[in-house]
Amino acid sequence: MGHIIKYRMIQTTRKTSLMFWAFAFPIILGTFFYLSFGRGGMGEDMEAIPTAVVKEETSVYAEAFLEFLEQMDGTTIETVSMTDKEAKDALKDGQVTGIFYCRQEPGLMVAGSGINQSILKTLLDGYCRNAAMMQAAAEEHPERMAQAMEAMEQWQELTEETSIKGKTMDSNISYFFALIAYACLSGAFLGVQASFDGQANLSALGIRRSITPTHKFQLILTDFLVLFFIHFCNVGILTIYIRYVLGIRLGSDVPSIVLVELLGSMIGISLGMMLGCVSRLSVNAKMGLCVLFTLFPGFLAGLMFGQMKDIIEHHCPIINRLNPASVLSDAFYCIGVYDDSERLLRNLVLLGVMSAALVTVAYLAVRRERYDSV
Amino acid sequence: MIQIQNLVKRYGSLLALDHLNLSIQEGEIFGLLGPNGSGKTTAINCLLALLKYDKGSVTIMGKPMKPDSYEIKREIGVVMQEVAVFDQMTVRENIDYFCGLYIREKSRRKKLVEEAIEFVGLEDYTKTRPGKLSGGLQRRLNIACGIVHRPKLIILDEPTVAVDPQSRNRILEGIQELNRQGSTIIYTSHYMEEVEQICSRIAIIDHGRVLASGTKEELKNMIKTGETITIEAVALEPEYLADIRGLSHVFDVSYKDQVLVIRCSKAKHNLVSVLNYLREKDIAFGKVFSELPTLNDVFLEITGKALRD
Repeated sequence: MGHIIKYRMIQTTRKTSLMFWAFAFPIILGTFFYLSFGRGGMGEDMEAIPTAVVKEETSVYAEAFLEFLEQMDGTTIETVSMTDKEAKDALKDGQVTGIFYCRQEPGLMVAGSGINQSILKTLLDGYCRNAAMMQAAAEEHPERMAQAMEAMEQWQELTEETSIKGKTMDSNISYFFALIAYACLSGAFLGVQASFDGQANLSALGIRRSITPTHKFQLILTDFLVLFFIHFCNVGILTIYIRYVLGIRLGSDVPSIVLVELLGSMIGISLGMMLGCVSRLSVNAKMGLCVLFTLFPGFLAGLMFGQMKDIIEHHCPIINRLNPASVLSDAFYCIGVYDDSERLLRNLVLLGVMSAALVTVAYLAVRRERYDSV
Repeated sequence: MIQIQNLVKRYGSLLALDHLNLSIQEGEIFGLLGPNGSGKTTAINCLLALLKYDKGSVTIMGKPMKPDSYEIKREIGVVMQEVAVFDQMTVRENIDYFCGLYIREKSRRKKLVEEAIEFVGLEDYTKTRPGKLSGGLQRRLNIACGIVHRPKLIILDEPTVAVDPQSRNRILEGIQELNRQGSTIIYTSHYMEEVEQICSRIAIIDHGRVLASGTKEELKNMIKTGETITIEAVALEPEYLADIRGLSHVFDVSYKDQVLVIRCSKAKHNLVSVLNYLREKDIAFGKVFSELPTLNDVFLEITGKALRD
């Protein structure tokens, strides 16, 4: 297998035109984005989010949440105490972004979706998670209360530094997240090209490779591994370019960024291989499908219109769960904006499952394949 | 070694293979001769389990040939009509890559690659990429990639199309050498001279059917023509042509552009009797050729058209 990998690597990397466009196109696009938006807003601090606070009861739980909100006041959020009716009117008028309800089970009401709403939700989720942890510690391990308190303080610091002062919350950043997601998906072009070399009805090389005793699965897996590695390097270089040449902060959690790009590269290649293997279409038709299946998900994820993903999330969220570009973009948000490890993990698992499914479909499509004509 | 029985393949309404039957024995060079579009390549693709077919069966080495017959594929080498190599890799890299799809052991692979390079005479081009090679050298590389793993069965589908005479001779000699080394060869071509030169048994196919098969002698014995006499003669009158047609053993006479073609059945002294007649009538004539029947004559007599029509 090492032998096949070696030569597939040589052969692919020497395809200069293919490599140039796979590598250069996202970088060119990123540069255009940068030139269009300028540096304005890319690195600025975000203003505190106006939030209404409604105290619904006087229990110890409500007081604890209120205290938490007071601590965050002036940094992440700017709170105003209101009655329920006043708060709802303010939300309707757009004076506040959300309403926090102080009660035994704290609540949040928002009127739309976006970065600010997501931050409020992240704050609430984080608080609830830590409160539950504190409660469990108090009941089951009172001796570990001090440790739990320390962990909670650290989380609060992290929330402030990453979510608010991390300088990653400008709405234009969504274009760069979508761009990296698109770059990951554009690996489909490498995948679809490689699949031509394995199919007897598409190329003479396909005939030659189809009549060798090397198992089809091994050939597909080899192609996948080689292209995945090459594409991952391309995406990595794009990220370094965006971060260090264009100076756009994508988040400080480098291992998570690498992980998302690994899975992103994987899904791009596997999507291309699936498109290349599955249909009986001509080479040109398959390339056309490839364009469609990379640009359209990119569009839905906000590559051309930044609010698109939010609109879809509001009206048909399932599309965002199934669209690999949206899942990728969301994973980057989890790192750069939300600081939501649970949601990040969910996205990563989703990408891994999609990728495995696509490669399996590609293999099943060409396994024991006989063609109508070659 | 190979049995093809009642193979039927349709492309829509076009019948590409019409109950094709072939039996190929171990150790022979078997020629599939037919004009372009006669079904040679389709037959090969069905044989290799690349194409779906509507009816019939294919067995190789006693086992049915299927897309996942990896053990059988290990023993087969294929040289297709179109050059199938990676343009991005050098001659040596291409040969080594395709060898590696059959042979895992590195030291053995290295030896086989060297032998294949020497066999096709590409020693001076090992670091050259295919795009820089001439058409003939590309064909040689194509052959090297197909035979590098020393297969027991080698299928060559028109390997000499668009090849210069020097490379063609080298390729034909190479095929005979491979056969001497123990490989069974299937060779398809529409060049009858090549098939006649190297094949021990031949099947003539057209419209997806085997019209005749056997050794070249057996094929030539199947037809009426025993000798074809061609004479350059000026202004022959129709009565002379009628007289020549009446000579013994002559069964067909044609005269066009001052070239007289006389087909005779198998007999001694056909040429002498024709020349005697011309002298007797004081007919001036130039160049005279006498040819024994060719595979083209066989094809012509069976189908009513020349092989290259």
